[in-house]
Amino acid sequence: MSTALATPALRDEGARLGFRLTLPAQILVLFISAFPLLMQLYISVTDWSPLSGLGWWNAWEMWNSFANYTDLAADGRFWSALKRTVIVMVVCVPAEFLLGLALATLFADDFPGKRIFYSILLMPMMVVPAVAGYMFFMLFQSGGPVNDILSAIMGGPVTIAWLSDPTLALIAVMIADIWQWTPLMFLILLAGLVGVPQDQIKAATLLGANPWQRFTSIVLPKMKTIIIIALAIRVIENFKIFDTLYIMTGGGPGVATETISVYIYKVTTQDLIWGYVAAIALAILVVLSIVAVFAMKCMARARQVPA
Amino acid sequence: MSAIHLQNLVKTFGDFTALKTMDLEIADGEFMALLGPSGCGKSTTMNMIAGMEEPTSGRILFGERNMAGVPMGRRGVGFVFQNYAIFTHMTVRQNLAYGPRMRGAAQAEIDRRVGAIAEMLQLTPLLDRKGDRLSVNILQRVAIGRSAIMEPAIFLLDEPLSNVDAAFRAVMRTELKQLQRQFRQTMVYVTHDQLEAMTMADRIAVMDHGVLQQVGTPLEVYNNPANVFVARFIGAPGMNLLKGRPAESDRGLVVDLGPLGITPPLPDDLAAALRGARGEVLYGFRPEHAALVPDRQGLAMPVSFVERIGARTIVHLSEGESAVKAVFENDVGLSIGQKAVVAPPASSVRVFDAATGLAVKAG
Repeated sequence: MSTALATPALRDEGARLGFRLTLPAQILVLFISAFPLLMQLYISVTDWSPLSGLGWWNAWEMWNSFANYTDLAADGRFWSALKRTVIVMVVCVPAEFLLGLALATLFADDFPGKRIFYSILLMPMMVVPAVAGYMFFMLFQSGGPVNDILSAIMGGPVTIAWLSDPTLALIAVMIADIWQWTPLMFLILLAGLVGVPQDQIKAATLLGANPWQRFTSIVLPKMKTIIIIALAIRVIENFKIFDTLYIMTGGGPGVATETISVYIYKVTTQDLIWGYVAAIALAILVVLSIVAVFAMKCMARARQVPA
Repeated sequence: MSAIHLQNLVKTFGDFTALKTMDLEIADGEFMALLGPSGCGKSTTMNMIAGMEEPTSGRILFGERNMAGVPMGRRGVGFVFQNYAIFTHMTVRQNLAYGPRMRGAAQAEIDRRVGAIAEMLQLTPLLDRKGDRLSVNILQRVAIGRSAIMEPAIFLLDEPLSNVDAAFRAVMRTELKQLQRQFRQTMVYVTHDQLEAMTMADRIAVMDHGVLQQVGTPLEVYNNPANVFVARFIGAPGMNLLKGRPAESDRGLVVDLGPLGITPPLPDDLAAALRGARGEVLYGFRPEHAALVPDRQGLAMPVSFVERIGARTIVHLSEGESAVKAVFENDVGLSIGQKAVVAPPASSVRVFDAATGLAVKAG
C-alpha cells in the first residue's frame, strides 16, 4: 500500500494538505455544534431572558455566579420530572425491546400474510407524533373506545378517567409511546436477526440445541451490537419524550406526567427564565452524553466479537 | 457407525424436481462422494440425509432405522458446512463443548470429552482461541471435532474445501482422509470437484440433473463411464467423443467418422457388441491415452492450440465440427497448423450409443 511506502516526511505533507482541504468543513461543523453549546453555557450562568432587553451577548451584565445550578440542585419539580422521565424510560424501553424482539423473531420466519402484517406493524412509526397524541387523547377519554372495549369485556359500564388520574395518565402516556416506538425496535432487531448466520443456527440444531438454547447461545450473542444500538437510540429518544405526551396530558393532571422535556418547555415558554433553561438543558446533555458514551463502550466491546 | 440406504428418494420444490428417484447404498464406514455440477441434486440429497429437508417421497434408512420424521438434532448426524459454521463468538473449547452442553452433560464429563477430542485433533493448545481468529485448516478440525464429540453414526461434509485456495486444498484433503480413517465413520462428501472425489472417496456417486448417473470406485468411474455425461465430467480434460457409425473394414469393425475418416479397428469385444448395429455411436477415448501414430493408423487432424502446463502438454486438434484433445507427458513438438495423427490403444476405447448416451457394454 502507498501509506506503507510513504516516508514520514511525505506522510506529514499529506496530513497537512488533508487538514487544509478539510478546514472549511471543520470550521462549519465547529460553528454548528460548538457555538450553540458555548452560547448555552454562557447564558446558563446569567439571569438573562429575552425580556431583559439585553442582547444575549451582553448577558454577562446579569451574571449570577452559578445560581442557576444551585437552584437546579434544589429544584424539587426538576428532580421529580427527572424521576418521572426515568420511570417512563425504564418501563417503555424494555417493553418496546421485548415486544420488538418477539415480533422480529416471529417475522424472521415465513407465514401467510407476512407482508401485510409487516406494513401494518410499521405504520405507528410513520404517524406524526402530534397526530398520535390526539389519537390516544381521544382513545383514553372516559367515554372513549378504550373504556368501551373494557366495558364489553367486563360486561358492565367502565368509566375510568384515564387522563385525569395521576397514575393512569402516566400509564396511558407510556402505552402511547410503546405503541408508537415498538415498530422501530422491531425493525432494527429484525435487521439484526436476519443477519445471524443461518448455517450456525443449523449447526447448533444438528448438535441438538433446542429453539430456546439456539436463541440464547447463538442468536442473542450475535445480535449484541445491534441490540445495544437499538437500546441506545430508544433510551436517548425516550428521555426526550414530549410531543405525544404533551398533546395527551399537557404534563398533567397537575405535574403527574411532567417529564424533563415538558418541564423545560414550560419553563421556557411560561416562566421565560432562559438562563435557568440553559442550565437544565446542559445538565440533561451531560446525563445523555454519559448514556451515549456507555453505549459506545459496550458496542466497542461487542464489536470485538463479530458475527 | 451406520450404513445409509436411500430408497426411491424424490424431492420436488414446487414445479422443480431436484431429485428424481435416487437409490443409493452407502456401506458402513465408507467414504462416499456425491459428485456433480451445481444443481445436480447432490446438496439436496445430503440435506435430506441430515434431516434439513424432508423427501417428497421415498425412504432414508440408517442401518435398519427409518429416518422419516426424525428431526435433524436427533439423527446422530455430524455435519460439516461449506464454511464450517464455527460459532465465531465462542472459543474453540466452547465450540467443541457445544453439543454435550446442549444435551445437559455434566461439566466434568464435558471437560473430559473436550480434552480427548482436542488431543486427537491436535487442538489442545488452541482451546482458548476465539472462533473468528482461526486459520482454515483449524476451522476444519474444529468443525469435525465439534461433530465428532457427539459420536455421530454418519458424517456429512458439504463442499468443505471450496473456500480454500488450491495449494492448501491438497493439505486439507490429506488431513481429512486421515481423520476419516481415524474415526472410521461413514462419510458422505458433497463436491463438484472431481479431484477431491477421486483422491478421497472409496466410491463416487456421479449425479446430474437430479439423476444418479453412476456409482463406483474412482477408477471404475474413470475407466468405464456408464454414459456420456460421466465420460465428459470425469477427467480433466474429459473424454474425447466423436460421432460416427460402425462400419466393416478389411481390418475389422471400425467407426466411420465421416469427413475424419475411419478409426483404427475396435477391440474384439466391442466389435462383437456393435456388429449389426446401425445407429450412430460416439467413439470415445481419454486425452491422456492418445498417442502419436504413423499416418493412416489414426485420426489425422490439424493442431489448433497447444497448452504447455509443465508436466503435461495438452494438444487441441480440430477439424470441422470435431475436436479432440490429446495429453502428452512430454512436449511433443507440435505447433499450430501442423497435422497430427493420434490414436488410442484399442483397449482404452469406449463406445457410447449416440441416441441414449449409454456406454456400449463390451459383449
